[in-house]
Amino acid sequence: MLRRTLASNWFYVVLMIALIILPHAIGWVSGDSPFGVRGRPVGQSIYWQGILIEVFVLAVLAMSYNLVFGFTGVISFGHALFFGIGGYILGVVLEYTDLTGEVGLLIGIGLTLIISAVLGLVIGMVTLRLRGVYFAMFTLAVAEMFYIFFSRLALTRAEDGFALTELPVWIDPTRSRLTFYYIALALLAATFLFIRRLIFSPTGAVLLAVRENEERARTIGFDTLRFKLLAITLAGMIASLAGLVQVILNKKVGPEVLNVSNTIDPLLMTIIGGAGTFTGPVIGAAGLHLGDRLLRDLVIEVGGASIDIGANWALILGIVFILVVLVFPYGIVGTFRRWRTKQAK
Amino acid sequence: MAASEAILEVRDIHTFIGQFHILEGVNVNLPRGSIGVLLGRNGAGKTTTLRTIMGITPPRSGEIRFEGQRLNGMRSFGVARLGIGYVPEHRAIFKGLTVRENLHIAERRSGDFARKADLIFDLFPDLKRLVHLPGGNLSGGQQQMLAIARALVPDNRLLLIDEPSEGLAPVIIEQLMHAIRRLSEQTTVLLVEQNFRMASQLADRYTIIDEGRSAVAGDMRDLVKDQALIQRYLGVA
Amino acid sequence: MRPNILVSVALLVAVVVFGYFLSPDLGSFGITLMSGLFQGMLLFLVASGLSIIFGLMDVLNFAQGAYFMVGAYVSYSVHHSPDVMAAIPDPNIRFFLSVISAVAVGAVLGGLLERFLLRPLYARPIFQIVLTFGVAIVMTEAVEFIWSTTPYSWTVLFSLRDQSFQLFGQSFGVYRLVVIGIGFALIILIGLLLQRTRIGIIIRAGVEDREMVEALGINVRMVFTLVFTIGCAVASFGGAIAAPFLGASAGLANLFLLSAIAVVVLGGMGSYAGTAMGSLLLGLALAVMQVFAGKPQIGLPVLASMTPMMLMILVLLVRPGGLFGKGR
Repeated sequence: MLRRTLASNWFYVVLMIALIILPHAIGWVSGDSPFGVRGRPVGQSIYWQGILIEVFVLAVLAMSYNLVFGFTGVISFGHALFFGIGGYILGVVLEYTDLTGEVGLLIGIGLTLIISAVLGLVIGMVTLRLRGVYFAMFTLAVAEMFYIFFSRLALTRAEDGFALTELPVWIDPTRSRLTFYYIALALLAATFLFIRRLIFSPTGAVLLAVRENEERARTIGFDTLRFKLLAITLAGMIASLAGLVQVILNKKVGPEVLNVSNTIDPLLMTIIGGAGTFTGPVIGAAGLHLGDRLLRDLVIEVGGASIDIGANWALILGIVFILVVLVFPYGIVGTFRRWRTKQAK
Repeated sequence: MAASEAILEVRDIHTFIGQFHILEGVNVNLPRGSIGVLLGRNGAGKTTTLRTIMGITPPRSGEIRFEGQRLNGMRSFGVARLGIGYVPEHRAIFKGLTVRENLHIAERRSGDFARKADLIFDLFPDLKRLVHLPGGNLSGGQQQMLAIARALVPDNRLLLIDEPSEGLAPVIIEQLMHAIRRLSEQTTVLLVEQNFRMASQLADRYTIIDEGRSAVAGDMRDLVKDQALIQRYLGVA
Repeated sequence: MRPNILVSVALLVAVVVFGYFLSPDLGSFGITLMSGLFQGMLLFLVASGLSIIFGLMDVLNFAQGAYFMVGAYVSYSVHHSPDVMAAIPDPNIRFFLSVISAVAVGAVLGGLLERFLLRPLYARPIFQIVLTFGVAIVMTEAVEFIWSTTPYSWTVLFSLRDQSFQLFGQSFGVYRLVVIGIGFALIILIGLLLQRTRIGIIIRAGVEDREMVEALGINVRMVFTLVFTIGCAVASFGGAIAAPFLGASAGLANLFLLSAIAVVVLGGMGSYAGTAMGSLLLGLALAVMQVFAGKPQIGLPVLASMTPMMLMILVLLVRPGGLFGKGR
């Protein structure tokens, strides 16, 4: 049983092992310890751990987006809300209550999960009965409202945000970066397995049926609203966990976590990677984020004019996104899979 | 029947809606000047046949010819412009538009409505006093009359009429039958009709569609006599 | 009167009366009213296109706000360009040229979007929505690429913009009144176009049943392109005439998109009368809220910027079809 599972998923197993070893490998090659130097977060390994944690965060966020958009066929333009709300909850618990350390952290995570689930349920119940576009509009508006609210709220220091200073040492990314790296990696793996499990379950079959033809799923006798609510709620909870990892990594909460860019990023990553596939969002997240990092300082000369790739990264992504929607609507993974089935025939 | 006399020839069309194979080989042959009717049980594919002819649900294979011209691959506005009028089921008139606007929008050349107004109000006198009312305020029978009248505004040589009698009172059905018979003096008509009594009194030709295939076709007078056939495909006496 | 008109008028009166009681004197009440009508008209210019396009084509154009933004930038640039200044020294005449350029750019960009990006996707409506969202991103980023991320404020003075008159001890800008006048004129003009012309009849019929319109022999896609082009041109026009007051910045896109969406939800998707009424209501509500939230006893200026979203949430909870909508 175990052997068969390992054999059919060898790719994921190898990738997982590689990601576990990677910080040590980089440390070995560069000579910089993966634990940092004298307790300070410096060196090649630490630097790349940071970037990879960001990739994991974006991948989890994109996978949660894919659960709604790719597997259930519901468009949300407000995913930033779920992503950002977690950070604020944790921040308020740690900084504004007497709860600190592990207790504060646990209560923060628990509250985050509960509140993001409630938000998902409420937003879904208001709009999911209506046509799909209402959900898109409503989520966009609610997310924007929270963004404006938190950028002006005096309690959370408005535009400036506030630092998380009371994190337990073992999770503090400046002191225990490697532990935190493994925590983020574990969240990535858990999310991946959870979504795959969910989609292959009977519940997942209904979600796919809703995506294909909601009318028909309803005629067969499924309460499609409940299944859509489930997808939104789960996706919201997963996205909020991704947000938690992000703010712990930055040790700072500010309105930027609620910014619309945190909706745009998972949307682009999901569609470019391949909506409705398991690996697509992960590949999209890794590709786009590493691309952003690597090309940040690149300037191309085209016919005498120099184009600063890094400064116009968002513009380039947007154009790529439009092209993908028009020409490769199945994204990288979906297009590749179709190409392979065609080859096999 | 020689092919040259047929105004409409539908040959072995297959139509898919989504992944569902709705029409699996339908043939219809309609001589100019006749009234044809598509018969068959609910869900047999009669409405889809009309929609496929109109180019709304294009066929995946097979051939449709109107006056010898292939309709395959044409969008429905192009099919309509060749001279085919479509009266869909459930009286799809524009409820927010007045009766006059409902008729005006059907013009293919300006002045069509003015030229046809006498004919239309002669066939459907009720409509004349309702021209300023929104279509949604009309009764079911009046809406059906408006839907047919709308197809008469341009010079159509073929009318596709889907279930004109559906949900209407017998008196109104009589009135509609009278109108359809009169307009068939000038155009060819292809009906879809569940009401066998109405169909048998109006039509010259019939085609029975069963589970997406055209099963039997022929002269209406022969069908009326063939109780076994009626029983088998239509389940009515 | 029909109940929805009654409710709309009651809401309108309630907002105005609330505004009256917030104002210390008639002059400042007048200022609030004028500011509300001004904002309402600008909203109408974005929301009308959004609503008609959605009703006819089932596409919610998330780039509608971006056209407003582009209009503002084009109008600003033409008016402040040294070359154009040299050619047309009179700032008032130059402003007309600025507005015309903005409308032209909006129309061309709108037509291109429908014809080349949306048309291939009519079989995949979910991707159309996602695509307009992507276009909004690209337009915003392209604007920042061309004009940098720094917001511009209008610096060139011209008499049309800067004239004012005194009433009840306050000074009222003529330009705002002109914009309000243009807005009302457009509400009536577009309304007449929809009611009286053949293209208007086709648009109204298409909102009900596109398929039937096409089956009557009308090339609906050409109507789509036309309507989309006009809708984007009108939004761009809004940006152009707003620029002398609001300047040009990338933030305009999102701000006006969200407010226009709130208007359309409030008025009822696809209803022209609802959109006009919704624009007036939201515009006035915004102006009143700006006064209310700014009061020292309240001291929550953030309330004003959250008004459109709160209103939208309220409408969806109470009456999802909006004031003039047909239920759902």
